[in-house]
Amino acid sequence: MGSEIIRAAALLGAGICMGFGAIGPGVGEGFAAGKACEGIARSPENAGLLTRTMLVGQAVSESTGIYSLVIALLLIFAV
Amino acid sequence: MDVGNAVYLAAYLGAGLAIGISSLGAGVGEGFIAGNASYAIMRQPKARDVLLRNMLIGQAITETGAIFSLVIAMLLMFGGMINSEGGWQTVASLFGAGLAIGAGTVGAAFGNGYTGGEAVKGMGRNPKESKLLTANMLIGQALSQTSSIFALVIAMLLLYSTPAGNNLVKSLAFVGASFAIGFGTFGPGFGIGIVAGKTVEGISKFPKQSALLVRTMFVGAAVSESTSIYSLVVAFLLIFVA
Repeated sequence: MGSEIIRAAALLGAGICMGFGAIGPGVGEGFAAGKACEGIARSPENAGLLTRTMLVGQAVSESTGIYSLVIALLLIFAV
Repeated sequence: MDVGNAVYLAAYLGAGLAIGISSLGAGVGEGFIAGNASYAIMRQPKARDVLLRNMLIGQAITETGAIFSLVIAMLLMFGGMINSEGGWQTVASLFGAGLAIGAGTVGAAFGNGYTGGEAVKGMGRNPKESKLLTANMLIGQALSQTSSIFALVIAMLLLYSTPAGNNLVKSLAFVGASFAIGFGTFGPGFGIGIVAGKTVEGISKFPKQSALLVRTMFVGAAVSESTSIYSLVVAFLLIFVA
């Protein structure tokens, strides 16, 4: 029973981890892309620069989502 | 508490969570569209027919997530799901289906509401471009709605294809899958809504740049979608592998 409870808690934890961990990057990346679209609408000649900056910012914002994914996969397969 | 009572508890609690949480998103989103439509009609009273029509289209799409939740709640209460033979795994699946669809549709409803609100605001600013704005609003809302469709898929899987049994590990894995997809789709749903809303705003101000803006919207929305795909993968792993 003891190890079964640990395994069950790890799987529930994996779900909670990925669920809440995905909120921040999703909203944050959307916000970055929204502001990039606003900037491109105002100055279309800088579209390349803005898209590049948007992707760099989104990559940084994505990192916490990837941390959640790694922890969730560890909880599913390694615990 | 025996399994027979717990199945009733899980089904009714799941139905309540499904419709209770999802109504939050639909209410806020549709209110935002209606508020912006009122403001736009104040600015352009002559365009009131177009604005009213667009408001209703945007609200109808924002409502989708709440309708998904209504279907799941009805299935939980009256769909013959309440059956104690499935054991504790069925208890977990019923609760999980309600939580997954309830929480999973909130983000998309916020996002759809923001996009629809910006679209009617843009029409108030620039009524000549109303067709272009409606088209872009619909594309953006469709992108944002994908995350609530992921939640619907997981809720249906939890309702119809989870095995019966009394295994504690599997039961909590099903609840975990519902947390992963339910909360994990909030961010992408809302985030894509912000991208689409800002794109529609940009098109209403600078209609000539619409091709460039839509291209950027797709790139930004694709990156923002990634976390809801992670959640979907984790939910599938928890349902089928763990």
